[in-house]
Amino acid sequence: MPKSLFVDPVSTLAPGKVELGSIPVNTYSRSVAEERAALGDDNLIRIYRDITILREFESMLHLIKTQKNYNGVDVTYPGPAHLSVGQEAACVGQAYLLTKDDFNFGSHCSHSEILAKSLSCIQKLSDKELLEDMENFLGGRTLRAVEKLSAPEKLGAPKDVKELAIRFILYGALSELFARETGFHKGMGGSMHAFFLPFGVYPNNAIVGGSAGIATGAALFKKVNHQSGIVICNIGDGSLGRGPVWEAMNFASMDQYHTLWEEKGGMPILFNIFNNSYGMGGQTRGETMAYDFCARMGAGVNPESMYAERINGFDPLAVIDAMRRKLEILRKGEGPVLLDTITYRFSGHSTSDQNAYRTQEEIDAWKAIDPIVTYRRALTEAGVAGDSAFEVILAETAERMTKICAHAADTEISPYADFKKDPFFIERTMFSDERVEAFGSGEPEMLVPREECKTLQRLAGKERAPMKDGKPVSKMKLFNLRDALSEVIIDRFYEDPTLISYGEDVRDWGGAYAVMRDMNQAVPYHRLFNAPISEAAIVATAVGYAMCGGRALIELMYADFIGCAGDEIFNQMSKWQAMSAGILKMPVVLRVSVGSKYGAQHSQDWTALCAHIPGLKVCFPATPYEAKGLLESALMGTDPVVFFESQRIYDVGEQFHDGGVPAGRYEIPIGTVTKARPGKDITILTVGACLYRALKAADTLKERFGLEAEILNLSSLVPLDYKEICESVRKTGRAVLVSDACARGSFLNDVAANITELCFDDLDAPPVVVGARNWITPPYEFDAAFFPQEGWILDAIHEKILPLPGYVPENGMTETEQLRRARLGV
Amino acid sequence: MATAVIMPKAGISVESCLIGTWKKKVGDTVRIGDVLFSYETDKANFECESTAEGELLEIFFEDGDEVPCLVNVCAVGTKGEDVSALRPAGASAPAAPAPEAEKTAPAPQTAAAAIQETAAAAGGISPRARKLAEHAGVDAAQAGGTGPGGRIIERDVRRLMEEGPARKAAPSEEVSAPAAQTAAPAAAAPAAMAAPEYEDIKFSGIRRAISTSMSASLQNAAQLSHTFSFDAGPLLAYRKVLKASEGETAGITVGDLILYAVAHSLLECPDLNAHMLDATTIRRFSHVHLGVAVDTPRGLMVPTIFNADQKSLLEISRELKALAAECRSGAINPDKLTGATFTVSNLGSFGVESFTPVINPPQTGILGVCTTQNRPRLNKDGTIGLYPAMTLSLTYDHRAIDGAPASRYMQKLCRSLENFTVLLAR
Repeated sequence: MPKSLFVDPVSTLAPGKVELGSIPVNTYSRSVAEERAALGDDNLIRIYRDITILREFESMLHLIKTQKNYNGVDVTYPGPAHLSVGQEAACVGQAYLLTKDDFNFGSHCSHSEILAKSLSCIQKLSDKELLEDMENFLGGRTLRAVEKLSAPEKLGAPKDVKELAIRFILYGALSELFARETGFHKGMGGSMHAFFLPFGVYPNNAIVGGSAGIATGAALFKKVNHQSGIVICNIGDGSLGRGPVWEAMNFASMDQYHTLWEEKGGMPILFNIFNNSYGMGGQTRGETMAYDFCARMGAGVNPESMYAERINGFDPLAVIDAMRRKLEILRKGEGPVLLDTITYRFSGHSTSDQNAYRTQEEIDAWKAIDPIVTYRRALTEAGVAGDSAFEVILAETAERMTKICAHAADTEISPYADFKKDPFFIERTMFSDERVEAFGSGEPEMLVPREECKTLQRLAGKERAPMKDGKPVSKMKLFNLRDALSEVIIDRFYEDPTLISYGEDVRDWGGAYAVMRDMNQAVPYHRLFNAPISEAAIVATAVGYAMCGGRALIELMYADFIGCAGDEIFNQMSKWQAMSAGILKMPVVLRVSVGSKYGAQHSQDWTALCAHIPGLKVCFPATPYEAKGLLESALMGTDPVVFFESQRIYDVGEQFHDGGVPAGRYEIPIGTVTKARPGKDITILTVGACLYRALKAADTLKERFGLEAEILNLSSLVPLDYKEICESVRKTGRAVLVSDACARGSFLNDVAANITELCFDDLDAPPVVVGARNWITPPYEFDAAFFPQEGWILDAIHEKILPLPGYVPENGMTETEQLRRARLGV
Repeated sequence: MATAVIMPKAGISVESCLIGTWKKKVGDTVRIGDVLFSYETDKANFECESTAEGELLEIFFEDGDEVPCLVNVCAVGTKGEDVSALRPAGASAPAAPAPEAEKTAPAPQTAAAAIQETAAAAGGISPRARKLAEHAGVDAAQAGGTGPGGRIIERDVRRLMEEGPARKAAPSEEVSAPAAQTAAPAAAAPAAMAAPEYEDIKFSGIRRAISTSMSASLQNAAQLSHTFSFDAGPLLAYRKVLKASEGETAGITVGDLILYAVAHSLLECPDLNAHMLDATTIRRFSHVHLGVAVDTPRGLMVPTIFNADQKSLLEISRELKALAAECRSGAINPDKLTGATFTVSNLGSFGVESFTPVINPPQTGILGVCTTQNRPRLNKDGTIGLYPAMTLSLTYDHRAIDGAPASRYMQKLCRSLENFTVLLAR
């Protein structure tokens, strides 16, 4: 909602009609003879060679899955084999013009995409570059295994570095599928997550359409950081049924790139639909979709219809032709682009596919135009080469694949990771735990120097402690939790040139809770911008941005919207570091606010959902001192952090840290517990805004019952250092745990279980979790009936831990009530 | 708004009481101070006066029910008021709405509801309390549990360490099964209804306490008894002198004389003026708190004469009379029924010649006073004469004290009794 864009009622309400431009369909018509001059015979033949390499790889997997044997090599492979036999020509054609600076992202059946892009790069890179890339990869471990293929009884010495690189790429991919330590990701990614960054091959993805948002994020990285190259997002026609794909296309096409950003121009991304007519077995055209031509989707996105076009993916030359034209559009800054690349999958979706959804007649009709036959015939007919030359290529391809298969299956050469010898093998890669102040080396692009930054000026005028000269500081002047967040964010903008921040209404509005207030006057558009209301795209693009080497701070207005970005948070942001065996870093900080007053879909504390997912760090500061120190840590780190903020306490000042919030930089390591109040009789563990209700309960315990409660605030949930918690509980023997999350499944149940195990002999009563009721959040007027209150804490202590003399409980914390609620599931 | 009347707490160590008889019924008008019901602890009877005015709306517990102290017993208010919020968990439910109410009504929440409802289930000991008891060498089982559901928690063990063991609270197990058994034969043989073959009697609080305490005593302690006799002639002669005196001293009995002798000699044998805290620890007391068995219509009661070693014969006599009277009337403060370090039980008036008194744990000894019989004795001149021989039976806990020192003490006691006036002179 920038003021510079006038929403004019006159033009908005003016009559007229929307003209949709025409979308070209299969317009390529040039002959091989015509292409010989442009491409050269060697390249035409090499295209054929690449198609056979891809076909052999997929055929091999098919045989292994169905017969446990490939050309005499016995091998068992229990993992997924989503094959794309038949789609090789489209992949080779797509990769033909791409360089290592162009990134491609893929789907769950992307073996051919990965291999084709790699083969294309091998052709373009110098021997020196290739040797360096291979040598530097995983410390040369994969290359050492590949070199053993040079033995005379195996493949013999490679005729050149390119041949060595071909062996390398096939072996790295296959041993990755076979879950071996010599694989591209030490076997931890597998078939659906393989990639090879040195050749610009970025991850494929087991979630249908999962790459759409991530690839968009990669394009965002290129655009924001002025990097060369374009991004290819390979997805299937089936993925067009997914909302996040639509979100990604829209995100990639936003008007603001042309209207508001300082450097005008569209996103350098090509959404390529490998349209084989089926999403698993569901037929897209005619059954599950309505687009008729999937290229039509472009017309729904922008006035250029994303320069959409349908092309014949069975003709590698038609694909090369289209790519040449689309790359030109992208390089001119007029992206994004949409390609509807027609192809066909001869094999089943997986080896269990019985082809119940299509006829043999249909398969045969497509097989009749199989490019491995038709393209070769065209080359022969054009006189590019004779049949014997192609037979030699086929024989070479089969021989190479057979020996590589045996090599990758051999556990001596290609060992599995040994979890007994190295029990921390996966553990080490769950978090990268590095500290990187700035990902780029250039000068951060800002609109004004620090001295003129309004946000910094405003913060400088605040009182950093709640008391001054013995008097309480007025609310307006007090440096509060919101200010603590602002202070870190604006500081990082001035320090890390790659840092970008976006979300709904973060720019002109300053964020719904004013954390980003006035930053639009200091931070340029391309580093701070309003995202569409597309939570999935917001998170996925950040994932892609981080994969490419940038740092993203993104915001979902309410924690409740985590559901809208479920896959992106739970499957993408959390898993890529470990699935890549630590090759990728994921410096993404996702801010989410926990609402109040806004009812059932805007008031939920979903920390438990995030804490449950391995690979995410989870913070929930409750004081300004914690907020600043933790956000600083998160924005210096290299791991994905979900950063919860409670709308109830954006205004609180610092009550616990001596001297208030320091003006300088400091970091609180994620996992640290804050001792908000010392005590000896009972430990109260709090999360989020509950800290302040626990303080009241502690006052009452002191005044009425002479009990000194120790309050520990868990400002981090994952990771969590139990040392101080255990020390406290061992001292007091009693623990009550309080958070605004619904009690059932609350993360605090996990903490309570751990306390019970770790401190059992010192416990005077079981740790008791006090959470919100297992209801919808009612309107604000009923807040006290739903969220834990001071009285609930006292009741829990009285009923389950330490009966308080003369105390009258009234909040239903009895065992009978506990059992009744559980029985009814409420 | 309706008001609850709670079960009073009749002494520091009292955790629950039995309702005796309701004196008012639902619908009656009650005023503040009206007696609502009688109740008893394991040691005494009391009457509960109403603390509210209005109509008795609902009675939550029936005659004979055991009710934790401070739990709501009944509700008083204006006719038609909803009293569900006052009804404690575990109370007798009102007759009318049963199944539906169970589904939808939230569990009633009152002051001690949780304690009441979990009482049967828990009653264990927290790991922390157990660890502390082990470390301090005290028997955690002696600590009354004040945690949820009667769980023994840290503070209970700390109290035990500071104040010593309390008399065991009344056992909480309900003896309900026999009631069902009574019904069965009656149904099977209606003809026999006129004259049932037996009757099952639910124990009173006192009976239950005795039952538990006595069986626990015999199960847990290594008890054995030694019997001695002494020449009671001088004692009886002194008693005659007293009886002939004027005023209060005339009422001093032989039993009082024996109590005095025990009180003023027991500190010489500290292991008999002691408590066994657990199998490895004994607590010796610096003063003698003498428990005296008193027969009452409700059963055996044992009030304590505190610091008896510092009291005169007349003081002991006077105090025992008062305590016995309170016991018989049932009005004794329960705190006077605890804290003894040694007990004397006198069955002499029943003609008991010798018996094996049972130790009242955690004490280490109990002296049984038996009847006096004339026994022959070889006089110095070689003739045979008779003398009044009084028998004393000491039961002691062999875990705490061996036979020789116990016997030495008894010898000393006998000599003291034979030379009572010398003892008095000290």
